[in-house]
Amino acid sequence: MSQAPVGQSVATPAWVVATKWLLIALTVLGCTYLSWRAVEAGSWLIVTVAAFIAMAVLVVYATGRGITLKYLLPGLILLTLFQMWPIAYTVATAFTNYGDGHSLTKEQAIEAVQAQSVRPEPDSARYGMSVAIPEGETIAEADLALLLSRPAAEGTSGDNLLEGQELFVGTLEGLEPLPADGVTLRGNGTVGEAPGFQVLTLVEANERAQDVAEFAVPLEGGAGIKAATGTQAFVGRTTTTYDAAADTMTTIDGTVYVAHEGNFVPQDGQGPPLPTGWTENVGFDNFSSIFTDSTLRSGFLKIFLWNLAFPLLSVGSTFILGMLLALLFNDPRLKGKGLYRSLLILPYALPIFVTAIVWSAMFNQDFGMINDVTGLNINWLGDPWPARAAVLITNLWLGFPYMFLICTGALQSIPNDVKEAASVDGAGPIRTLWSVTMPLLLVAVGPLLVASFAFNFNNFGLIYLLTGGRPFEATNSQVGNTDLLITFAYRLAMESGSPNIGLASAVSIIIFLIVGVLSYGMFRQSKALEEVN
Amino acid sequence: MKRTTGAIAMAGITALLLTACGGDTESDDPTTPAGGEEESEAPADDAGEATDEGEAAEETAAEGEGGDGAEETAGPPAASDGTSLVIWADDLRAAAIEPLTETFTADTGVEVTVQIVAQEKLREQFKDAVGQGAGPDVTIGAHDWLGELVQNNVVAPVQIAPEVAEQFVPESIEAVTFEGQVYAVPYSVESLALIRNADLAPEVPASMEELVTDGEALVEAGDTELVLAQELGKEGNAYSMYPYLAAYGPGIFPLLEEGGFDGSQSILDSPETIQGAEKLAWLGEVGALSTNQDASNVIPNFIDGKAAYMVSGPWAIDQITEGGINYAIDPIPDFEDGGETSPFLGVQAFYVSAESLNPQIAQTFVQEYVPTEEIQVGMFEADRRPPALSAAAEQVQAQDPDVEAWATAAEGGLPMPNIPQMNAVWGPLGKATADIVDGADAAERMGTAQTEVAAALGGK
Repeated sequence: MSQAPVGQSVATPAWVVATKWLLIALTVLGCTYLSWRAVEAGSWLIVTVAAFIAMAVLVVYATGRGITLKYLLPGLILLTLFQMWPIAYTVATAFTNYGDGHSLTKEQAIEAVQAQSVRPEPDSARYGMSVAIPEGETIAEADLALLLSRPAAEGTSGDNLLEGQELFVGTLEGLEPLPADGVTLRGNGTVGEAPGFQVLTLVEANERAQDVAEFAVPLEGGAGIKAATGTQAFVGRTTTTYDAAADTMTTIDGTVYVAHEGNFVPQDGQGPPLPTGWTENVGFDNFSSIFTDSTLRSGFLKIFLWNLAFPLLSVGSTFILGMLLALLFNDPRLKGKGLYRSLLILPYALPIFVTAIVWSAMFNQDFGMINDVTGLNINWLGDPWPARAAVLITNLWLGFPYMFLICTGALQSIPNDVKEAASVDGAGPIRTLWSVTMPLLLVAVGPLLVASFAFNFNNFGLIYLLTGGRPFEATNSQVGNTDLLITFAYRLAMESGSPNIGLASAVSIIIFLIVGVLSYGMFRQSKALEEVN
Repeated sequence: MKRTTGAIAMAGITALLLTACGGDTESDDPTTPAGGEEESEAPADDAGEATDEGEAAEETAAEGEGGDGAEETAGPPAASDGTSLVIWADDLRAAAIEPLTETFTADTGVEVTVQIVAQEKLREQFKDAVGQGAGPDVTIGAHDWLGELVQNNVVAPVQIAPEVAEQFVPESIEAVTFEGQVYAVPYSVESLALIRNADLAPEVPASMEELVTDGEALVEAGDTELVLAQELGKEGNAYSMYPYLAAYGPGIFPLLEEGGFDGSQSILDSPETIQGAEKLAWLGEVGALSTNQDASNVIPNFIDGKAAYMVSGPWAIDQITEGGINYAIDPIPDFEDGGETSPFLGVQAFYVSAESLNPQIAQTFVQEYVPTEEIQVGMFEADRRPPALSAAAEQVQAQDPDVEAWATAAEGGLPMPNIPQMNAVWGPLGKATADIVDGADAAERMGTAQTEVAAALGGK
């Protein structure tokens, strides 16, 4: 930066300028398209964010006024979108009961309960139905009418009989006979043409699909004729209705349900709540239940301890094995190092999905290779301690090549003269390793060990694919013996009886805090290592 | 330390395109190359993944928009153009349903788009996508999803005509009914049955006891290695073990007089269910059941001739036929003391999305075209599950003797509960079945499972 003055456009070639403006234009266009889609979906937050990004890009890159931000802006935007936003969203969710059965807003839930309660009237007729509009009007705006037909009972008479079908026209006012004059029927008995009406095809009527779905021809006693399909109508009745003043639901047989903690529950306390509930703010309930609910609390503590032990043991074992191999292959006397080194990288190069599943099959007590070859009969995945050992063994296999790589790199950067100096001072090989090589090595790989610890602390993939957190305690099928906090949170959120995403978010936040505190502490430690230099 | 963070941040940022166009000529900033080297290892594979997974809770929300299937249907095909019907199905059934929609298109002029969604993700993605107001008009799925789908209001009621409903096997309509409302149109009914390698075991065992004796004899003679092949696994499998658990009573929930299960209480520790659980213990003791048998090895073991008997469903038949096994299908045998094994029935059905923008078109398709022999037989040919429409079932019985055998095996079975409470049962009960087969005391272990399920049910 210092060698050239920050002069404008002096040395900027034309293609760079062109590319710059092209990229600016593309970003703005992209944001415009995004907001257009978001407006359609009614998502104003996205519109705001897209507009903000577009403006920020224009200000920084187009006007040159905020040019000092040019390096930071992309990073800031990505950081906000992909880090800050999920965190903020998780925190917000942690204070709600969001989850299965509580995924709607209250208005949606009220509407859903009523829509689900529409039942056909017992022994009522079913009609053939055509959706129609008054002739000459446009489909988008016209008042809808349902042209209905039903097989006429013996001995019915009237001017609305045609080919054994009784014809009606249903509007929002009610049901009227449809004079049969000039009406033609289609093969399935529905009205195909009627004077004064334009009969819509299924595709045409779909333009008003929502209106058709809500359309009900009122009948006496509160029932209505509603569309069942595009060609059939039924007589139905909403059997559960909402009373806005009292905030209660009343079913047709008189049971009253009151709103309580995100569900409509029976007023008299008898029987189950209505199935569809809504999201509600629950304050600190999720957090307090982690610490007060006895199964959760004991489970949480147990999982937490294993969650500390697992990454420590994993990092330790992989580092020791990786470092020993690195020292071995760093020896100048060894021939064919390139080949060995490439072979050692292989476990690292295979995707964890493949490796973990293969290991899981190898650990099978009866059919697995490990018991077969060793002649043992260990219930690897069924007993707590063997299962933990299995997890560590698999992670050793998966993790040592990484440690081997970074140690090899670090070892090669340690100058030979310090080792020579040590041997001149009379240090043996072990002493040299311990007092010279190791400290220098740890300076280089220390931060990476911390990063590896943090990664293994949340090593979801391995646990999920290898043991799934199993084996479980007999009394509690939520808390597994090899569970990490993150797999535990996943089970609560996704796999438990009724996924409770609010609670899982609360657990995630706690994990976040724990990882944060631990990492901070360890980075402090590794800083101390650096001072060796 | 600060230097490293700064270097990594710089490296990440310089990688971004826009910076190249900031009006500066290429700088020789010394931190850039150094940062580039450091960055290449740690954050790329460690830190990056770790942070991603920290937000597991976010994954559902993201899937609704970004999941493999959801992406396209969130756009025009599912919505607003008003001329297209979008159906989600897994790969096998998508291939089957696509040609079967031609009649519908010819009759109505409505184009049908069939989209493949991975089977194990379909339920979740449908729930999430529709919850976001996107998703398909129609999805093919299992009936036991129903309670959960209704809870989240993602499926619309299907006001099926009574005379159409009567054309189905009664259990299949019962299976898609929730709190008195029908929510889907079924196309197949399946259950577990005893599949026998007729070369190794020519005789149908009259009882479970006889099956075990036969199986043991075959193992002793060295013809096979396993008495019986049946899925269980370390985590247990309540579906697979239900035929035994329900041999003496309804098993999990008490039956309601009007049909269906009473989800407000569970009866895992009832004397009848414990009697069934003791049979599990016995089958585990004699080695007929084992927690080391799971989805990954049951069918292969049977095909390799390592077991003469297997308890499985219609989905296994394709692999068995490919393996060239001479097989026969019979009901799971009863116990000699009068316990009648009774499998769960599973029903596959067409659901209509509650957020469909083409509700009448979707309803027309599921109510007027799915209950036709053309579609029901066509779907049977894809996944060999016996049709739910009686007429279609009769038609395929004539071509395929297996279908009658499956129907016999399903007799007396009850549809798997579709109430959402069932979700609280699968885990604890499954785990209990694994422990009992591994030697835990049946009565005691069912008691703890009951306590856990009761707590989960009571807590809601």
